[in-house]
Amino acid sequence: MSKAAVSVREALLEPGARDLRRARTDWIMRRVVEGAAFLAVLPLFALVIFVTLRALPWLSPEFFFNNPLDSEPGVLNAIIGSLQMSALALLITGPIGVAGGVYLSEFASARVASIGEIVIDILLGIPSIVAGLFAFLLLVPILGFSGWAGSLALGVLTLPIVMRTTQEVMRLVPPSIREASLALGIPVWRTTLLVTLRTAAPGVLTGLVLAASRALGETAPLIMTAKGTNASNFLDFGTTMNAMPLVIFRYAEAADDRTIGQAWATALVLMAIALAMNVIVRWRTVDSRVA
Amino acid sequence: MGTLDVHQPRSGSADPLFRRLLGAAAAGGGLLLLVITGRLIASTLPLWAIQSPLSFISTTAWITGIEQADGTTLEVYGAAAALFGTAATSLIAVLFAAPIGILGAIYLVEFAPKRIAIPLTFLVELIAAIPSVVFGLWALGDLSLRIRDSIEWWIASTVGRFIPWLAEDPGSPAADSIFRAGFVLAIMILPMIVAVSREFLRSVPISLREGYIGMGATKWEAIRDVVVPTARVGLIGAVLLALGRAIGETVAVTMVIGNAEGIPTSLFLPGNSVAAKIASNIGEAGTEVQIAALVALGLALFMLSFVISLIVRLSLRRFTTIKAIS
Repeated sequence: MSKAAVSVREALLEPGARDLRRARTDWIMRRVVEGAAFLAVLPLFALVIFVTLRALPWLSPEFFFNNPLDSEPGVLNAIIGSLQMSALALLITGPIGVAGGVYLSEFASARVASIGEIVIDILLGIPSIVAGLFAFLLLVPILGFSGWAGSLALGVLTLPIVMRTTQEVMRLVPPSIREASLALGIPVWRTTLLVTLRTAAPGVLTGLVLAASRALGETAPLIMTAKGTNASNFLDFGTTMNAMPLVIFRYAEAADDRTIGQAWATALVLMAIALAMNVIVRWRTVDSRVA
Repeated sequence: MGTLDVHQPRSGSADPLFRRLLGAAAAGGGLLLLVITGRLIASTLPLWAIQSPLSFISTTAWITGIEQADGTTLEVYGAAAALFGTAATSLIAVLFAAPIGILGAIYLVEFAPKRIAIPLTFLVELIAAIPSVVFGLWALGDLSLRIRDSIEWWIASTVGRFIPWLAEDPGSPAADSIFRAGFVLAIMILPMIVAVSREFLRSVPISLREGYIGMGATKWEAIRDVVVPTARVGLIGAVLLALGRAIGETVAVTMVIGNAEGIPTSLFLPGNSVAAKIASNIGEAGTEVQIAALVALGLALFMLSFVISLIVRLSLRRFTTIKAIS
């Protein structure tokens, strides 16, 4: 790179001409980075518009309220399955994740906290297919191909998200708040739960919602655990269970238009839920992250 | 804090229990990691009984058992083809996403007025929220063919005439290809590159820019000569993080890569990736060795993403210490 030094060719130019060139480069690069930013958001609009257009003709009451084998097929069991498996995954990993995050932020020594951070980093980096393999190897032999195994496979992915966000937001709570509470003679556990955690509650909630949205959208772990089914399976975690991502994955390459149409319609529903959850929790904090 | 009941009798004895409970939960994370690693390694053992890890990595063929003439069954498992597909798709993804992501982040941090930067940042982040199976469906049902008929066709009919691995037979173009999987991955990792680069560009002190501009540099020169070099480690970290994400991505890749055996002669032909191979073969894996071979693929994937996140962590730590010193 030329750094600040000017090339021989530039040095031979009249000073005015050189400045003109530099101004022109500046203008061009401004347009280039603008264009890059525009390109970066383009896929979002393209995707949302395209999925919506393909899905709209197939959104009927039957789509939402019938099961795949009904005469007017729908994906009710997949919607229910996705919601209940994600809910169960969060029910199991939410408390553990929050408690672990609180420990790492409030009680762990610097050494333990840094080990904890590395562990969470690695867990966050686990490819979803590997989480699925793990559940397939360890849980399926015990629980069978079932909603239980599916929920726990999703839990492997949600646990580090909850733990990380809890730890981060707990750290942001000013020490003076804890000290004020402790100075009043309130025991540490009450201070932590009712003062520190309560102050950090919106952030913790954000982490839980993000984890839920991740769980709702995951496909790979469910392929080899919950497997999918055509039967209705409301709260029946003991057998194979359907989920929206599984429906999209399996219907995508179907031969008939109706099945493919249902894949698009399911994709629209799934995308709408995921986007809505993210819009709600992210929009509130976007100002502070950009400013 | 009105609900805090300060008149509650002291119960100091509850504190150690409370700490232990929380500590147990935190230890749960470490335990999970240990159990996953242990279980994966243990499940690959049947494979190592018939094949060495080295031959597993270097073999291209994946033969799950063929009766031979002499009565024995031939069983060979090789990760090379899948590893090639993973490397190729991830590198293609980074090749497209890194320049656009970093330049886009430069716009958001350096040029965009606040009323544009806020919604734009928000929209880019939203891309990351879309489930990968939706990307897969989009790619399968529309995007993939568009890429084939535009970028792929253009490359194949220009550079592809001279470079065989960028060539495509225009008479019978494949429905899926490694290149298309990589391109879809590029869209999926873009938000991550933008978000992480943005953080590091923002952390460059304003005084550095002001000093350089005060000496007569244009804004772009300040970015090129001061801001980007200062944030360089962070930008590399952003790209590495995205690479890690691309390597692990399963479903969208599975849907458009074509699940073909072997290493294709051209990037515009169907291939396979590690994650896609696991996802599409685990259902039919009957014997212990077949499962072990797929788990070995998963283990390789796990180790790759582990190494990447470790590199990122170490390099970014160096960056933060430098920042603290300066």
